[in-house]
Amino acid sequence: MSTPELVTITVDGIELRVPKGTGLVEAALAAGVEIPVFCYEPRLGPPVGACRMCLCEVSPGPPKPQAACTLTAADGMEVKTAATSAMAAEAQDATLEFILVNHPLDCPVCDKGGECPLQDLTFRWGPGNTRMTFPKRTFEKPIPISPTIALDRERCILCYRCTRFSEAVAEDGQLVARDRGAHSIIATFEDEPYRAPFSGNVIELCPVGALTSTQYRFEARPWEIQNVPSVCGLCPVGCNISATTREGKVKRILSRNHPEIDEGWLCDKGRFSFSALYAGDRVRDPLRRTGKRRFEEVSWDDALDEAERLLRHGPVLLALSGSESVEQAEALSRLVREGLGSDAVVLPERISPALDAFRAPLSTIRDADLVVVVGDDPVEERAPVVGLWLKAARRGGAEVVTVGAAGTVPCSPGAAAETVTGKLGRKVEAAEHAVLIWSGPGGAGGARIAELAGKLGAAAAFYLPATANGRAVTEAWHAAGEGEPSRPEKIGLLLISGDEAANDPAVRPLAENADAVLAIAQFADPLRGLADLILPATSYLERDGTMVNLEGRAQRLRRAVIPPAPDELAWVAKLAERFGVAIDPHARAVPTAERAELPPRGEPAAPEAVPDSPVPTAKGGPLRLVRYRALFSGPEVERVEELRFQRPEPELELSAHDAEIRHVSTGDQVVVRSNGTSVTLRARVNRSLVDGAVRAAEEHVRELDQAVEVSTA
Amino acid sequence: MPAPGAGALSPAAPRDLETKVQAIAAHYPDRRSLTLPALRFAQEEHGWLPPEAIREVADVLDLTPAYCEAVASFYDMFHLEPVGRHMVEICTNLSCALVGAQRVVDAFEAAFGVRAGETTDDGEITFRAVECLGGCGYAPVVAVDERYRHHVKPEDAAAIVEEIRGAA
Amino acid sequence: MGLLSALLAGSEDRDLTKLDEYRAIGGYQALEQARAMTSDALIEEMSAANLRGRGGAGFPIGRKASLIARDSPKPKYVVVNADESEPGAFKDRQVIDTVPHRLIEGCLIAAHAIESKDVFIYIRGEYLAEYETLAAAVAEAENAGLFGDVRVVVHRGAGAYICGEETALLDSLEGRRGQPRPRPPFPPVQGLYNAPTQVNNVCTIATLPIVISMGAAEFAKVGAETAPGTAIFSISGNVVKPGNYELELGTPMRELIYDHAGGVADGRKLKAVIPGGSSVPALSPDQIDVPLDYDSLAELKTFFGAASLIVVDDRCCMVQLALRSTQFYMHESCGKCTPCREGTRWMVQILEKIERGDGELSDLELLKSINGRILGKVLCALGEFAVYPVASYLDKWGDEFVAHVQQGRCPFDGQSSLEGIVAPSDQHHGPVGTEPVRSVPAGAAT
Repeated sequence: MSTPELVTITVDGIELRVPKGTGLVEAALAAGVEIPVFCYEPRLGPPVGACRMCLCEVSPGPPKPQAACTLTAADGMEVKTAATSAMAAEAQDATLEFILVNHPLDCPVCDKGGECPLQDLTFRWGPGNTRMTFPKRTFEKPIPISPTIALDRERCILCYRCTRFSEAVAEDGQLVARDRGAHSIIATFEDEPYRAPFSGNVIELCPVGALTSTQYRFEARPWEIQNVPSVCGLCPVGCNISATTREGKVKRILSRNHPEIDEGWLCDKGRFSFSALYAGDRVRDPLRRTGKRRFEEVSWDDALDEAERLLRHGPVLLALSGSESVEQAEALSRLVREGLGSDAVVLPERISPALDAFRAPLSTIRDADLVVVVGDDPVEERAPVVGLWLKAARRGGAEVVTVGAAGTVPCSPGAAAETVTGKLGRKVEAAEHAVLIWSGPGGAGGARIAELAGKLGAAAAFYLPATANGRAVTEAWHAAGEGEPSRPEKIGLLLISGDEAANDPAVRPLAENADAVLAIAQFADPLRGLADLILPATSYLERDGTMVNLEGRAQRLRRAVIPPAPDELAWVAKLAERFGVAIDPHARAVPTAERAELPPRGEPAAPEAVPDSPVPTAKGGPLRLVRYRALFSGPEVERVEELRFQRPEPELELSAHDAEIRHVSTGDQVVVRSNGTSVTLRARVNRSLVDGAVRAAEEHVRELDQAVEVSTA
Repeated sequence: MPAPGAGALSPAAPRDLETKVQAIAAHYPDRRSLTLPALRFAQEEHGWLPPEAIREVADVLDLTPAYCEAVASFYDMFHLEPVGRHMVEICTNLSCALVGAQRVVDAFEAAFGVRAGETTDDGEITFRAVECLGGCGYAPVVAVDERYRHHVKPEDAAAIVEEIRGAA
Repeated sequence: MGLLSALLAGSEDRDLTKLDEYRAIGGYQALEQARAMTSDALIEEMSAANLRGRGGAGFPIGRKASLIARDSPKPKYVVVNADESEPGAFKDRQVIDTVPHRLIEGCLIAAHAIESKDVFIYIRGEYLAEYETLAAAVAEAENAGLFGDVRVVVHRGAGAYICGEETALLDSLEGRRGQPRPRPPFPPVQGLYNAPTQVNNVCTIATLPIVISMGAAEFAKVGAETAPGTAIFSISGNVVKPGNYELELGTPMRELIYDHAGGVADGRKLKAVIPGGSSVPALSPDQIDVPLDYDSLAELKTFFGAASLIVVDDRCCMVQLALRSTQFYMHESCGKCTPCREGTRWMVQILEKIERGDGELSDLELLKSINGRILGKVLCALGEFAVYPVASYLDKWGDEFVAHVQQGRCPFDGQSSLEGIVAPSDQHHGPVGTEPVRSVPAGAAT
């Protein structure tokens, strides 16, 4: 890469050299000078010059103030901000006056008050009094943009950040400006809820209190809160977050820009599902089963005695959630393996170390010229932010090829990997910066995609795991002993760690064959009739620890609030002590940087014998059911009323052909049958779905097999 | 997650809209440019742009209904609320106003029995003032169903009303 | 100086909407001549003719063409701005109505100059008859094999004044809300679909065949020294014979008003002339000897604009004129940039108050201050178009504003020619500031 040409500019008399083409707002910042902005937000694409807050005196140029946000540094440019130019000061004062003409001064009851750019800029540059004597524009308020977002239209200054996000970043095209001129308003179509996985980002983008979080509304003042930097523990991306807390409670989650991981975007699951911490069935004390579906609270002493008894009863099968912290997985693995000598375990999916040779930051996707996504699962359902990177790549001119049941290269379910050969394979080889992504089950934990990347010379490869920290959890178990995972013939105690495992359809049947079940969980309801003893688990927002994301980046969880029960690691250590295993509850092998670095690439792995992903054949039915775990599912989401509208519709997607021959159109009720069971779902014709496949969210088709028949209800 | 209304998952749009759009699709390097033409086709079909018409346009163009409505609401000629079967529009901008447009407005209001901006009770005719139609040299200008009438005088109102009613 | 038929030549006695008729008077020969030239030579010829844009800004078309990045790998576009919407202007309409082939020929010449294969003519949606005429002419010319590998598409707008601003027009043509883009980048570098684009007004493009057939040198001798050629002047308002008059540039305004348009109608006295469409500063009767060209008008601190004169007689209340004008610009403000969106609305509120008789002298100062705070701060010129005329009314007829305040009522006492005029912006929303609280958006943008 050539070094960028440097140019000399002056900002308020300060001379500096910056790369040619640097935006003036950034260039001024480099000189320690702030050019105030509202609409300017480089993450939203090219500047629009709408709000006119950044007007500066710029020479050479016309003898009037210039929108600095739309200009880039050129040699000899002289920029004067309001600090040194009367012209700029007058212009900024004018802009603020115009903005305030119809902006209510309800700061005392506005959630943005205290952290509001408009408030701050008015304080610094604004007019001291108002010359507006007419009644200000009013609207009915608040308008529910969705159950999670409220809109106070009279506060809106029409900077169009939110609509630009919707159009040009999330590309959901749902939040738009309606009407024209002074009558322009921000709206959704027919006041339908803004239903899209990244909708909540518009709250953070809003530079005034127009778009607010319904969860945070009237909950706190900025001087009462603390923002704790941490990472999200709900999917394998590990977006960086700040947890806003007040009086020991989490009140909201904000994004915290990690340019390589999330660019400051956060999905609605990560943003809004924190309130599950305060769900009615949250386990706050140890619970012992007293009846078929009933529990009673027991003391910690009794609980630990009971846990010890159950563990000694054996043989123990440990089921680990893929969203545990590394430390928790390590502690439990050691307790069971060292203390009880049991290698019986149900682990999250195994991830191939072969991926390490193709490790790269997620942001590399944006720079790709070709991205191939292999697999049947929609990327945004598995790792939502990756979907945004794909869109950024496409906007940047990259070709994005999806290979799967609903892909641009359609193929039968499960047969995706075989398709990346021939013409597509050559395309990857010819690309300068090809990125391969595996999104779906199979693929030997990333070994297949790594193998393809090696063979075709791709620049980077990613595997989107099903769980947030599955690889590290599995590795922690392996590190705690010598043997390979085994399964006992008879299960004396099923020890379930974490709500994810407790809700795993592969784990729950095991409980029926176990003499006893000890669960470490946050939520009690799913364990009624299943667990004999529940010990309270902590959420990722309540624990310190380490998570390793899908890039292989170790990131630090910081405890934002105290959990409702004693620290999990502390009592696991106590329990382990009874089995002669010493666990330091304070040992932290965690990175401390707030923005974690990506470790260097691993050596290319020796060719691994990759077992072909089993392609189950459809038996007894003409259609193959592709099921995916919806982003808006899982124990946290289920406990957040505001997210109910985001959960997957009870829908079955059919190809146009399959719908036509069954005389089904979108909206019809259809019966989906397999092996004697059936569910009724609403049909939706998906023109990009391959013939012979139907697709639905896992939670609606749990009872069904892979081969199904579909007919109108 | 598929966005609601995303084309790929929506029902097939009415064929004739699709046919009309397809006929001019080759004029533009980018399908988005078909938004205004498609909205116009849909409005010709429905008389105005009810939500279902917006959805149809969105579906044919693979855009979201919100986007199409945002575009439609920007332009004066798209009607997002019901209008009469006939439109009578009078320019009240400077050149027309200077030579008596308001008296013509008054005459039409009396003849239709509605105020400017309203639709007759029978839903037949919407009468509204509009900004400059580009007929300043032939003022006052009235457009009846998009056809200009020049030099319209208050006393012409009755005949124009009768003509529209007769045609209806 | 005076009447000279060039752009409209031949249309007086022939139906030039027909290809045969147009060819009979030598039509499409300039195209042949142009196509025999290299692209560079053609641009040089355009530059030598010093043909200046008739859309308002007066930018030389040759220079614009030379800015087109012809080595760009992207396609190049010619976009004709036929979104004539400036109050007072109806000249493009007559060109399309009567000499559509001259416009089409100009398009093909411009396309050859910048090596473009795609021409879009963006015509305002209200011009239905003109659209039909133009579309028929395009079809006829195309069927006659005149286009070669060039495609000419006539694209209809849908009612938004702002789409006459070239970058808003491009956004609208791309299927978006027609809102202006920041410039730079300018369209010759990054225009339609982010590709190099030549945007010109109807009259400018339709003049190209004349430039080519006359030759640049001869063309440059016609009209004003700094602005050669003819222009079609639209004249309307209180004159005896309103209409379009094609005149050499530099013709005195008085000649147009009195000799061609028959002077002020109804035996009234001339009060004001808005010389370039409603968006420019008005002139007082003592200023009408000005030659009608860009530079002469600029000397009087007004603009050539759309070459469209609105003549105002002494029956008109200037506060009402200011109000009605500002209502228009408020209605047409796209809503993108703050000073225009908020400022035009505030101006209307103050003007309504003064016209009602509730104004105070401080409101006049406030109005002037707001004017100054819009000027030079806006994204495109629309906000300034609202300010220019109002500022000139305050400046030249300030005593009328003061009289409103001092008498507590309109001194015209209901006899002004604009009395009671209903503005489209009032229809759905009521007077500004009295809109009902809205829970759901009101209907169309009107």
